[in-house]
Amino acid sequence: MLKKYYTEMKSGLDTAYQQKPRASTQMSIQLASIFLEAYRADKNVIWTSFYSFPMELLAAFDVAPFDFEIAANLLPTFNADVAVEIMNKAEEAGYSTDICSYHRLAVGCSMLGYMPRADLLLSSSYFCDGKAKTNRLLADHYGKESISLDIPNKIEKESVDYVAAQLRRIAGKIAEVTGQRFDLDRLRECIRVSNRSRRAYGQLAELQKVTPYPYIGVPVVNMSIFGNMLAGREIQEQIYLDMVEESRKKIMEGNAPEKYRVLWLAWCPVQPTNINQIFRKNGVTIVMGELARNYWGEMDESLPFESLALWSLRNPYVGTIGQRLKGINQIIDEYKLDGVVHFSTDACRHSCAAQKMIGDALKEHDIPYLVLDGDMSDKRKYSPERTQFLLENFIDIMAGRK
Amino acid sequence: MTESKGNMGYFCSLVPTEIIMSAGLKPVWMKGKAAMTAAADTHLYPNMCPYIKSVFTDGLEGGDSDCRGLVFARSCDGMRRLHDVWKAYITSEFIYMLEAPKNVDPPAVIFFASQLRDFAVQMGKASGTEVTLPALQEAVKSANKTRGMMRDLYNLQKRSPLPVSGSELFSLGLEILHGDGSETSGRISSLRKKAAGSGQPERGRKKIRVMICGNVMDRPDVFQMIEDSGAEIPFADLCTASRFFERVVDENGSDPFLSLATAYLDAPRCSRTAAPVETYARISDNVKQYAIDGVVLTALKFCDQQMYDIPYLLRRLNEDGTPVLFVENDYVFNDRDRIRTRVEAFLEMLES
Repeated sequence: MLKKYYTEMKSGLDTAYQQKPRASTQMSIQLASIFLEAYRADKNVIWTSFYSFPMELLAAFDVAPFDFEIAANLLPTFNADVAVEIMNKAEEAGYSTDICSYHRLAVGCSMLGYMPRADLLLSSSYFCDGKAKTNRLLADHYGKESISLDIPNKIEKESVDYVAAQLRRIAGKIAEVTGQRFDLDRLRECIRVSNRSRRAYGQLAELQKVTPYPYIGVPVVNMSIFGNMLAGREIQEQIYLDMVEESRKKIMEGNAPEKYRVLWLAWCPVQPTNINQIFRKNGVTIVMGELARNYWGEMDESLPFESLALWSLRNPYVGTIGQRLKGINQIIDEYKLDGVVHFSTDACRHSCAAQKMIGDALKEHDIPYLVLDGDMSDKRKYSPERTQFLLENFIDIMAGRK
Repeated sequence: MTESKGNMGYFCSLVPTEIIMSAGLKPVWMKGKAAMTAAADTHLYPNMCPYIKSVFTDGLEGGDSDCRGLVFARSCDGMRRLHDVWKAYITSEFIYMLEAPKNVDPPAVIFFASQLRDFAVQMGKASGTEVTLPALQEAVKSANKTRGMMRDLYNLQKRSPLPVSGSELFSLGLEILHGDGSETSGRISSLRKKAAGSGQPERGRKKIRVMICGNVMDRPDVFQMIEDSGAEIPFADLCTASRFFERVVDENGSDPFLSLATAYLDAPRCSRTAAPVETYARISDNVKQYAIDGVVLTALKFCDQQMYDIPYLLRRLNEDGTPVLFVENDYVFNDRDRIRTRVEAFLEMLES
C-alpha cells in the first residue's frame, strides 16, 4: 500500500514539476524516489533516521536508505482515516495509545507488510527513546540487526571519540551487510558535498531573516526533518540553491502578506490540519524552525568520523535543555519574531517536559508563547476547532502588541 | 568504611554507588513520597513518568534536604528532563548528570569508564574527600559483599516453600538501596541463616509462585497484597530488586573504573538498554529457575522504554504458555484495590 502511495505521489509531483519547476517540489520528488528505491529487489536497504543519523555515511555506499518513521507517516497526508486503521492494528497488538502515533503507524505498517525489507536497521539514541525502541522492535520483526548510534549529552573529546568509534563500526557493518568495500575517500567526498549544501542552506536561512518573508514557512520546518535525507548527495546543494534563487525572486517581487513572524518549535503535524489555512488567512509566517537553524558548522573532511560525530552532538535535542534554549535564543536574536508556537504531541515526553522551561525563558524575551496541543499523525487526537481557537487567540495577542 | 559525610541522592541503578561511597558519602536511592503530583504536572507534563513526577514533587517541597547533592543519569528522556527542571526550579547544593551509554559494547565501556573517572573527581569535590584508589577498592569489595549476600538469598528462594517472604526480601533490598549496605548486613545474615535452615515441605497445598517483572517499584505493600491473596513471590526482576544485586565488579582489575563500567553495563539490564528479546530470555530463564507459575508484568505509566516492549513480551510469554498478567502502575499504586481484584482473578485462573 505504501509503495502505491509513493508511486502516485511521485507521479503527481513529476507532473507538477514539469508544469512549474519548484525546488520544494523537487525535494518531495526526491523523498518519494528514495522510498521507492527501497522497494527495489536489487538494492541493499538500510533503515535509518533521516533527521538524526549522519546520512553522509550512507551516501558513501550504494544503498537505499529508508526512514521508517517518515515513510509510514506520509500516509496521513494521503489518507488520515487509513492511517488510523493501520494504527488500530498496532493498538490491537498491544501498543498503547500513550505511545507516539509516529511509531504506532510504523509498527502497524510493518505488521501489515507495507514496508520494504530491511538489511540493517540504524537509529540514534537522541530525539526520543521511542524511535530507537521501535527500530529495535522492527529489527526483531524482520530478523535483522539493529544498531543505535548512542549520542551522549556533552561535547567533549571523550564523547566525540565515542561517537566516532560507533560510526566506524557502523561503516564496517554496512560494508559487511552489503558486501561493498568502505571507501574513506568517498566518505570525504560526501562530506565535501555536504559542506557545500549546508553553505547553500545557510544562504536560505539568511534570507528567512528578511522582513516581510514571502513564504508561509511550514516547508521550512518539514525540510528540517527530511531535508537531511540527501546529505552527501550532489542534488541537495542544487535544491537548496534553487530555493535560494526562488526566495530571492519572491522577495524582490514584494507583496508578501506577512504580518506576524513566528518560530515553530518541535514538529509539524503530517496529517491534514487547518494550521496553514489559519496562518495564511492571518498573515502568519513561520520564519524558522528550531531544527532548521544552521547549528552544525563546517565539517572537516580530513576527520570524517569525528566531524559526523560533532554534527550529531550539536543537535539541539541532544543534551540538557540548555542546548535547546541556546538555539532558541539565537533564533530570537536573529529573526525578529512576534511569537513562538510549540507544537505539542503528548507522547513526545522530552519535548512536552521542556515546555515550562522554554516558556519561562521566553518571558525574559517578552515574546508570546503558545503550546499548541495536537498529534502528528492521529486524527483522533487532533481537534481543528481547538486549534483554530488557540491560534486565533494567539494571533490576537500578537496583534495587540504591534 | 569511614564515617559518612552525608547523603548523596541518586535516581537510577546505573549510578555506581561504589564511587559515592569511596568519597565518604552515603548513596541514597531517591524514593518518591508524593502520591499527588499536581506541582510536578505544572513543571513537567501530565503524561510523564509518575516516578519522576513524584520525586520532583518531593523536591519542590524540600524533599531532598537530607542530601548533600543529587546524581542523575542519562537513563531516559524523562530523567534528562527531570535533571533540567530540578536544576532550573530547585536549589540544590550539588547536581551531577552521569553519562550512561545506551549501548553495551567495547566503545561504550571505554566511554563509560571515562565518565566514571570524572564522576569520581566531582564526588570528591562535593564531599571534600578525594576518591582514592584504595577507598574505591574498599567500596567495591563492600558493595560486592552486600550484593553477593543478597544474591545468595535470592538463590535460596528457589526452594519451596519459600524460605523468606517476597515482601520481606524486597523490603530488605530497598533498605540497601537507601544506604551503603553496612546497616543492613546483620539483617541479611540473619535472613540467610533463617533461609538456609528452612526448606521442609509444608503440609497442605503448595502456594502459587509469582514473579514480578518491571522497572522501578518500591512498594513492599503491593508485594504483601499479592501474598495476602494467596501467592508467594520468590523473585522480582526489577531495577529496585534482583537486578540491583546481580552486578559483580571485578575486584582485581587493573583499572577499577573500567571494571565498574563493565559491571554496570553488563549486568541484567532494564528495557532502557536491553533488547526485548534479551528481557524475554531473562524472564523465561527465571520462570524455570524459580519454578514460577505466573508472571506479573508491571510498567510505570508513560514509561516508553517499557511500554514499547510489553506487546512483544506478552506475545512471547503467551506462546510459551507462561501465564502473565500485565499491570500498568502509577508508581504509588493509588489504584491498588483495582489491582488486587485483577491479581486475585489471575491467581484464581492459575489455581484452576
